[in-house]
Amino acid sequence: MRRALAALVVTAVAVVLLARYDTDPPRTLNPNSALRPAASAAPAPRATPRPGEKSASGPVITTPFSVIQVRATLTRGRLTGVETVELTGDGPHTEALNARAEPILRAEALKAGSADIDVVTGATYTSESWRDSLQAAIDAAREQR
Amino acid sequence: MTLRVEHVMGIPVRVDVRAPVAAGVLDDVFAWFRDVDARFSPYVRESAVSRRARGEAARDADLDAVLARCEALRRATGGYFDVHATGALDPSGYVKGWAVDRAGALLDAAGVARWCVDAGGDVLVRGGGWRVGVRHPDRPHALAGVVAVDDGAVATSGAYERGAHVRDPHTGCAPAGVRSVTVLGRELATADAYATAAFAMGERGPAWTARLRGHGAMTVLAGDRVLATPSFLARCPGGSLAASLSFG
Repeated sequence: MRRALAALVVTAVAVVLLARYDTDPPRTLNPNSALRPAASAAPAPRATPRPGEKSASGPVITTPFSVIQVRATLTRGRLTGVETVELTGDGPHTEALNARAEPILRAEALKAGSADIDVVTGATYTSESWRDSLQAAIDAAREQR
Repeated sequence: MTLRVEHVMGIPVRVDVRAPVAAGVLDDVFAWFRDVDARFSPYVRESAVSRRARGEAARDADLDAVLARCEALRRATGGYFDVHATGALDPSGYVKGWAVDRAGALLDAAGVARWCVDAGGDVLVRGGGWRVGVRHPDRPHALAGVVAVDDGAVATSGAYERGAHVRDPHTGCAPAGVRSVTVLGRELATADAYATAAFAMGERGPAWTARLRGHGAMTVLAGDRVLATPSFLARCPGGSLAASLSFG
């Protein structure tokens, strides 16, 4: 959570710096950014600005907990509002699990099959398997003249 | 090219040598396994383990080293690998892999270039080009996948035919939702302990295996779903478990 908060703070500061020099919100997401943009996410909605007020949205960020976008508002050069918009429809917890699980584990549907192998793991414990193993060993030994 | 299978340490142990091997080397290897059985079996009344479990003094430097390593593994697995899980001291779950690792050192020292030791379905290979099938947890004669291993260990913990022999030491119950865990690593003893621990963790096991350094893992979940780490899948011919079954 601390990392997500840190990312938020950094983004907010970045947005504030951008907004100070740019009246338009930054539309182009940095393709080299480590904070991966979500392709389908829509930009955060803009409210009608009051006089002297500038607002801008930061890039869409995928945090370990959700996909978010931060919007900062400056009034005459001073930060007067930071809004965090969550762009994901799913609960943040599910999103967090998916975001974390994706790079470290990959899911597959299990298929049973056979293949040319030298040895089997998870194979034998009982005397029945022991006999199978012995038989296989005898068979294999027979093949090696 | 030599193959020898003996029933020792309560399991069939199979040594498959595919390189020149001097006479007597395999005799030494199996003599070592019998020596381990005599000293470490909890079923042998006068073994060092049985005497230590009864609180008697039993001097054995190997046993001290084994128990120290088991304690380190207990901490590394959050208590899920525990040689006291059944109430009495029983380091068998570590000793089998340790004995195989030491047998491997004997084979290496004897200059044997390519060999495979299979201790009841836990495997250590050396010399390259070994294809290790992962048994399907619910179909005894089918494979769930194949991994290609040059030098290293493959250990599997699962429900299998002995029934639920692994229990969560915290609850005393068999883990739910997980059918088997296979771990790839350098040493069999550690890979085996990690597989046992991850299996006992139940559905939290896969995430735990994903954080292990230097080890790959696959977990077969109920409902024929598999979660595998990238380093495990990298060892599957074709890059996936399904593809690995159609190779060769």
